Amino acid sequence: MTALLVKSVILLGGLLTAVAYLVLLERKVAAWIQDRRGPNRVGIPFTKIRLFGLGQPIADGLKFLFKEEYTPGHVDRAMYTLAPLVIFTAALATFAVIPFGHVVPVGGKAEPLVVAPGVDVGILYVFAVSSIAVYGVILGGWASDNKYSFLGAMRSSAQLIAYEIPLGLGILGVVLLTGTLRLDGMIELQAQSGVWLLLVQPVGFLVFAVAACAEAARLPFDLLECEQELVGGYHTEYTGMKMAMYALGEFLHMLTASVLIVVLYLGGWHFWGLTGTGTEVGWGTALLRVAVFWAKVMLVVLGFMIIRWSWPRFRFDQLMNLAWKVMVPLGLVNLVATAVLMEFWPRALTEHPWATAGAMWALALGTVGLWAALSPVGSQSQARRGPDEFSMRRVETPAA
Amino acid sequence: MTTWLIVGAIVLGAVALWLLLPRGRKAGRRLGAVLGAIALGMLLATVPPLGGWFTQGLFWLLAGLTIASAACTVSFRNPVYCAVWFGLTLFGTAGLLFFQGAQFLGAATIIIYAGAILVTLLFVLMLANPRGQAAYDRRAWEAPLAATVGVVLLGLFSTGFFSTLKAMPQQTPAQVAAEKRQPPGKYAVSALGAELFSRHLVAVEVAGTLLLAALAGAVAVVAQHAQPGQVIPRPEGTVPPAREPNEVTVR
Repeated sequence: MTALLVKSVILLGGLLTAVAYLVLLERKVAAWIQDRRGPNRVGIPFTKIRLFGLGQPIADGLKFLFKEEYTPGHVDRAMYTLAPLVIFTAALATFAVIPFGHVVPVGGKAEPLVVAPGVDVGILYVFAVSSIAVYGVILGGWASDNKYSFLGAMRSSAQLIAYEIPLGLGILGVVLLTGTLRLDGMIELQAQSGVWLLLVQPVGFLVFAVAACAEAARLPFDLLECEQELVGGYHTEYTGMKMAMYALGEFLHMLTASVLIVVLYLGGWHFWGLTGTGTEVGWGTALLRVAVFWAKVMLVVLGFMIIRWSWPRFRFDQLMNLAWKVMVPLGLVNLVATAVLMEFWPRALTEHPWATAGAMWALALGTVGLWAALSPVGSQSQARRGPDEFSMRRVETPAA
Repeated sequence: MTTWLIVGAIVLGAVALWLLLPRGRKAGRRLGAVLGAIALGMLLATVPPLGGWFTQGLFWLLAGLTIASAACTVSFRNPVYCAVWFGLTLFGTAGLLFFQGAQFLGAATIIIYAGAILVTLLFVLMLANPRGQAAYDRRAWEAPLAATVGVVLLGLFSTGFFSTLKAMPQQTPAQVAAEKRQPPGKYAVSALGAELFSRHLVAVEVAGTLLLAALAGAVAVVAQHAQPGQVIPRPEGTVPPAREPNEVTVR
């Protein structure tokens, strides 16, 4: 019970602080890409020490707290209040089964660094809880009683539901290979074989990463917000702490996505020749594993941020085409290939990991090459000129 | 004694449900809620003790939440609220399944029902009638019949449950659950999968085929309205944006 409380407090405190500083990191990365300085004024309060702007999250938090929380008169009050709570709670609840390290030696026993270590269906639990987030979107948009919010909610929930399928297909490939649904079990298998699953599942990684990016509503997929062209989104009518909950939930989703990518594909806390693989460890190794884990997570987060500030947004039809016509077929190909591998060579990963990895990469490159040769990719981002081969409806200009 | 308590609780519950259902007038709804709470208490009094106070409290909390939100699902008038209460019922059910050690079933309940089916339902409700103001959405159609069917089902379930309980050796349900639970380290999921794909293979395949047929049917229904070569004109009174034609031809 004590261990549970201590782990929950560490995780919650760490997550909320991390999210606050991720906002600062995001702004700094944006500034770096756009050749600006970014926030650099706020330091220690009541002094002139600036500390490179590290005080900014505190100022942001205070501003959110003291801002007037304006509730429009026409909203459905119960649902309007419930919606941000749902999205925030769901985003936090996923971390109950996500390991944030490996084990620490407490009183001669190896104590796993997971809040709920007994959950055998870890990844399914994460999937289930994160599928609840869509309620926050859909109810928030509906309760706002505003057609722009409502249209935004419809658009966003269609996106979230569509990308859950490739997300699940990516997870299934990893589950087939590791034979477990536990997140810590997946990491241990990767550590023992020394082959991170990115090397064995290149297509699965691609599908999962793109879908996770879409689920977290990061920029190439952020039709949830569309500040510039589509009048905000489901949270147009929100202000103050409720808005802050939506924003925090969004950053937590990005963190969840990054942690899952690290756990499923990048070996979790394992690094060759540095962390070892056993569970009998001293404090030094245990903390080193935690550091390696979060360093990887931060790298993935940084990747997400660079992607966000480098790519323009998809149009809605491009978004749906990408989900249903590219990601779902790719995910299925990956799933079938993995199933065939596990059916005919069930020990491939444990006995010849590097050969398996090479074969899977060859297969992946071959598939993509064949696809490219058979149907050259056309760009849909141009203005429509005459018959459009890639859209469902051909557009024809009538004879004048 | 217990039997009469259960019968009384079920009949009382039926009356409460009938009073609670939205019949177009407000009279008696509060009385219905009170009667429902009494019936729930009577049912709870018959449930044997489950072990420690924590286990007991957790079970009653989850079970009470499930039943109360189920009652709200059928008695609220705004369809969107009904759907949200139904979501809470699903969470209660999933919680009970987790409580019994059936982790996979709990997660699957949330993923399939709450995450997919109910969201689709909400879509339909919101797109069809965003405010849910139509009279046919706000009234229970066959209130007495619905309450009666509910009573009969509940009676059957309780009879079955208590006869099984009597036939079993004198153990608390917690002991039974501890006996039946999978030993740690052995995956309940793989056991479930093996069972599904050996004993129930035909059922699984039939269900899959049925879903595929339904999917194909849905596509066919949609495609009926868009025949190849058909010209869909732009609705009258709308101005075409620049560079876009007045009509589209379905390929």
